[in-house]
Amino acid sequence: MTAPVLEIRGLTKRFRGLVALDHVDFTVPEGTICGLIGPNGAGKSTMFNLVTGFLPPSEGEIRFRGTPVTGWSPQQAGRSGVARAFQIARPFPGLTVRQNVRIGALFGRSGPRDVEAATDTALALLGIEDLADRPAEGLTVGHLRRLEVARALAARPVLLLADEPCAGLNPAETDAMIAALRRIRDGGVTIWLVEHDMRAVMGLCDRILVISAGRAIAEGTPGEVAANPAVIAAYLGSEEQEAHGA
Amino acid sequence: MTTRILATLVFLAVLAAAPAFVPPFEVRVLSLFCFWGALSLAWNILGGFAGYWSFGHTVFVGIGAFVPGVIVAKLFDGGGAELMPLLVLVGGLVSAAFAGIIAWPLLRLRGIYFAIAMLGVAQVTGELSAAIEWIGGGVGLSLPDAVPAALAPEAFFHYIFVGLLALTIGAAAWVRGARFGQGLLAIREDEDTARMLAVPTEGYKIAALVLSAFLTGLLGATYGFSLGYITTDSVFRTDFSLNMIVHALLGGIGTIAGPLLGAAVMVVLTQVVLGEMLNLHLFATGALVVAMVLLAPQGFLGLWRRKPRAQREPGP
Repeated sequence: MTAPVLEIRGLTKRFRGLVALDHVDFTVPEGTICGLIGPNGAGKSTMFNLVTGFLPPSEGEIRFRGTPVTGWSPQQAGRSGVARAFQIARPFPGLTVRQNVRIGALFGRSGPRDVEAATDTALALLGIEDLADRPAEGLTVGHLRRLEVARALAARPVLLLADEPCAGLNPAETDAMIAALRRIRDGGVTIWLVEHDMRAVMGLCDRILVISAGRAIAEGTPGEVAANPAVIAAYLGSEEQEAHGA
Repeated sequence: MTTRILATLVFLAVLAAAPAFVPPFEVRVLSLFCFWGALSLAWNILGGFAGYWSFGHTVFVGIGAFVPGVIVAKLFDGGGAELMPLLVLVGGLVSAAFAGIIAWPLLRLRGIYFAIAMLGVAQVTGELSAAIEWIGGGVGLSLPDAVPAALAPEAFFHYIFVGLLALTIGAAAWVRGARFGQGLLAIREDEDTARMLAVPTEGYKIAALVLSAFLTGLLGATYGFSLGYITTDSVFRTDFSLNMIVHALLGGIGTIAGPLLGAAVMVVLTQVVLGEMLNLHLFATGALVVAMVLLAPQGFLGLWRRKPRAQREPGP
């Protein structure tokens, strides 16, 4: 069968003395929504930085659709079909919403083909077509998050890395984001997301990887992960977490 | 879009027709506007679109002017007037090549560091052009008189400057509309995000600097021919570098009409209104720049556009 969209083997990142990620393994199968959770400082953003080429790993291997891509550049990742929505939304402030999304479409995997159609589709999917001609500067947090995801989506990625797409959203906005992520997955995009909103994570994800202090401590379906004592310990801070290290 | 192209063509045609209707002094003022407008617009391709402000763009004016000067002195013994178009082109190409060489190390610097590095490059290159006897920038170089007998000198150079302005407007408009230009805007807004969106940031920055340097070099070479005699001090001029920035700032940085508008205002102000009062004109120029930066950071175009945009935003 086809190779998984993303395979991570023994991925390790050291910053001088600090081990941010310690021999982590994970597989993101095609057509799924996977989750990456863990306490603050667990290494979630570092993981995304390694996968998207913003940082080189110290050790380990990353395979994208079966091809080793360890140490690639952000541009190579983007061209190959990895898109990322940042934790802190980073729109191009001086451009309009449409211009922002259009740049995603112009340079993504599909290159400059069908740019307007991809832009319109992404705007509509996130429900921000009414804001298209507004400057990105001055949008509400909820709109910024949607713009961030729309711009990543316009690139027509294979894999969307979404870093806390629901952070700072009210319950209604969170529901809208969850629905949008489902539609994106149904459209054939594999998603790996970091999220603190447990309702979103449990409702959306097919598989979840839990990391704490750089180590993978659990992996499985939402039900398995929620019942795992090591996960409960990591979130509540019990001594038990030593005994259950994965 | 087509109306804009049409308006630009009419504007250029009127400019080009000027020598038939207005006296020589006014033709020179209009040529100066074309020269300054085109320089600022060329600077704007890197500074306005990509957000990489060069404080030393005069280095490309200098190289553009010196290359024909040196070729004429070494190969044609002061002659070669009929080769002027080719010499101007070579001036532009050598400027572009020089930009390509310095681009790799310099464009790794961001923001003010790039600006200062360009200032340094311009200073050093200027000094070298004067210090190296073979080049002869200290003593000066002559450029042959290429003006055809049928034309007055100011009219001849006016036509060329209008042509170069048209070329620069065309280049800037093409960049602005192309994928390349969208990539430059993304770089200006947030370079790391641009990289993540697969914008080839390194290549685009280099291409923007090289294109900007090529156009600036053509302008510098033509300027050199119009002077007839160049020295380091007459073409490697810090005030050239600054004026390119000031004109773009005044009119509206990152736009196409902005640098032209800024250049028009400054040329009228310095040549016509304050031409007789040299001391006052520097003072007035400085005061105008300070006022614009404080009151209208988006330039004249920004002032004009602000109102409609505010009206368009009656909350969600």
